[in-house]
Amino acid sequence: MEFKLEAHRIVSISLGKIYNSRVQRGGIKLHKNLLVSLVLRSARQVYLSDPCPGLYLAGHPGAPAPPQQPEESAAGPPAGWGEPPPPAGRAAWPEPEPQPERPAVPEVPRAGDAQPAATVTAAGDTLQGGEAEAPEAAWRRVEGPRETAIGGAGGPAEVSGVFPQGPEDRLSAAPRVDGCRAPRPAAAEPPASPPVCARKRGAAGVGGGPADCPAPGSTPLKKPRRNSEEQPGGAAAAAEEEEEMETGNVANLISIFGSSFSGLLRKSPGGGREEAEGEESGPEAAEPGQICCDKPVLRDINPWSTAIVAF
Amino acid sequence: MIPGLGALTQDTLWCFSQLKGTVEIGATEADIISTVEFNHTGELLATGDKGGRVVIFQREQESKNQVHRRGEYNVYSTFQSHEPEFDYLKSLEIEEKINKIRWLPQQNAAYFLLSTNDKTVKLWKVSERDKRPEGYNLKDEEGRLRDPATITTLRVPVLRPMDLMVEATPRRVFANAHTYHINSISVNSDYETYMSADDLRINLWNFEITNQSFNIVDIKPANMEELTEVITAAEFHPHHCNTFVYSSSKGTIRLCDMRASALCDRHTKFFEEPEDPSNRSFFSEIISSISDVKFSHSGRYIMTRDYLTVKVWDLNMENRPIETYQVHDYLRSKLCSLYENDCIFDKFECVWNGSDSVIMTGSYNNFFRMFDRNTKRDVTLEASRENSKPRAILKPRKVCVGGKRRKDEISVDSLDFSKKILHTAWHPSENIIAVAATNNLYIFQDKVN
Repeated sequence: MEFKLEAHRIVSISLGKIYNSRVQRGGIKLHKNLLVSLVLRSARQVYLSDPCPGLYLAGHPGAPAPPQQPEESAAGPPAGWGEPPPPAGRAAWPEPEPQPERPAVPEVPRAGDAQPAATVTAAGDTLQGGEAEAPEAAWRRVEGPRETAIGGAGGPAEVSGVFPQGPEDRLSAAPRVDGCRAPRPAAAEPPASPPVCARKRGAAGVGGGPADCPAPGSTPLKKPRRNSEEQPGGAAAAAEEEEEMETGNVANLISIFGSSFSGLLRKSPGGGREEAEGEESGPEAAEPGQICCDKPVLRDINPWSTAIVAF
Repeated sequence: MIPGLGALTQDTLWCFSQLKGTVEIGATEADIISTVEFNHTGELLATGDKGGRVVIFQREQESKNQVHRRGEYNVYSTFQSHEPEFDYLKSLEIEEKINKIRWLPQQNAAYFLLSTNDKTVKLWKVSERDKRPEGYNLKDEEGRLRDPATITTLRVPVLRPMDLMVEATPRRVFANAHTYHINSISVNSDYETYMSADDLRINLWNFEITNQSFNIVDIKPANMEELTEVITAAEFHPHHCNTFVYSSSKGTIRLCDMRASALCDRHTKFFEEPEDPSNRSFFSEIISSISDVKFSHSGRYIMTRDYLTVKVWDLNMENRPIETYQVHDYLRSKLCSLYENDCIFDKFECVWNGSDSVIMTGSYNNFFRMFDRNTKRDVTLEASRENSKPRAILKPRKVCVGGKRRKDEISVDSLDFSKKILHTAWHPSENIIAVAATNNLYIFQDKVN
């Protein structure tokens, strides 16, 4: 499972870089953003790929017990992400720190209400208030397959309960206000509560609940990892994008960010790099130039079992 | 002499010669050197910095009195090449940082060089003036016009000596041809044309024509979403004016022949090494991106630099390099941290020595590495103020990769990643090297016995 942990961390770092690149002097560097998007894609693939328990165990003796894996494998990413129809209830995003809001990601699949950029730039406050419900609803939507899979009646309730303001939700709205930098430290609060795990896994985790977890959908396996998560999370805390990520729709977020930087830029309040694909008007001068959109790159499934083996 | 400590290249001992640059206290980001280049004779050494300035050093004539000390480089000319600009149409700031300087071969008394930032290439003429005309009829000595009615005699103005003045004037400005950031310029061997390369396109210019250029490579996909690689460096063949190479972010090199077609989208040769699957990681693509490509002086080989290695390719063999040198393989296990602190995106350059027998490239902690292609020996040296006593011999350095650290070794975790040597230059015919360490320029020479 360290793969996913690492992948998650890398994704959050990458998103931070993409965001920061918009405000860098000299304009967006196409080369660097292309490389970052490739890393993003790789991390996403690892994140979403169905891990073979054997592989994990072989590589990482400290990995969680295999029983978790099948259940997690059972769940799949929501269909909305362009992935194959999800098997029931796979916990695809174990790592993301619990975040009350999932500002943009759930929105976008629902016909793009919030823009990732706006979300990002808005940093804590607006996110919490306005969008608490939307992500919640998104959770539910995402949760759908899993709930059925696990027959978890507690699923939705669990999710909604923990979603924004669950007491166990360490990363409650308050730390959110401070921006993404806060969550990790805030997340250092009691890590051991299963509901936290459940909350964190929100969209993904319900189905992954291990047997020994009291609350449905919670995942003790997350608990031990929680501590280690916080460290890398802390390291990556500079990325405002973490806010979006941590609600768990990582893959969705990645496709949004990775596939359409122009979408980010269009909504950027700085107005700086307003190049957008839609704004191309033919002549070179109007080209976005600096934007690299790699949706097809993301969709280009590069069978990468060796990467998993390597890890 | 420090025999036996590490490998010495060609039995060469490198000594400190000079240190140029601001002292630490006054250094700003604008002082960071961004490019270093000797001219074709090695008489001049040009540096460009992030502030858009170009400083040219000239080697003083060797004097008979000081035979043990070869000519030193002193400041010859300093000028502001590029200024920060703002593209109002796109709301983009254009950095004034000098990305590359390339000299033209000298054809008369003046020196010409090309300097470029992200968007604009400029041709500068650097010339000396050591005489000035005196004795005008219509102007007095201060330059004020005289009333013609007061002139009673005529005289011929004469040239009188004056203090040497070096002036740099922009002779050509090649602008508005690049949508993306220019990463390379290269003067053609015909001395009439040159190319400029950005992330997706390469343009061919004639020195005399500034309002148009030919696009010779265009890898921009019709749909930007399908973009998978960018151009990272480009260079003309040193002798064949129809041949050039460009490297990509995917670790490949394409050699193109301009005689084949006007638009060289179809390469003539394609150099790529199969990836080693055992080294696959999240960052495989980043570290395989080529940051620099250089033809050997002979034109037979090309050298490429990616994040961890330097490779030498034979133009006649496309499927793999003939030599691969590990620059700092101990960083392979630290790629994630280097990704976080952005060091993994550092673009190191590489250079050949005059005889193509030794190659040099930079690393972190102000280390730079030399590889002798014949003896297969390599050495790691450091550019530091502590080693900056005149003619002090540079001691080979060693990085300890784990286990017991010996006395003079430095552990990987102690490396200072903010001190990186990205730009180096080697004199075309002598063992004199210029190493840019952030805002300082070190000049080292081999020990003269």
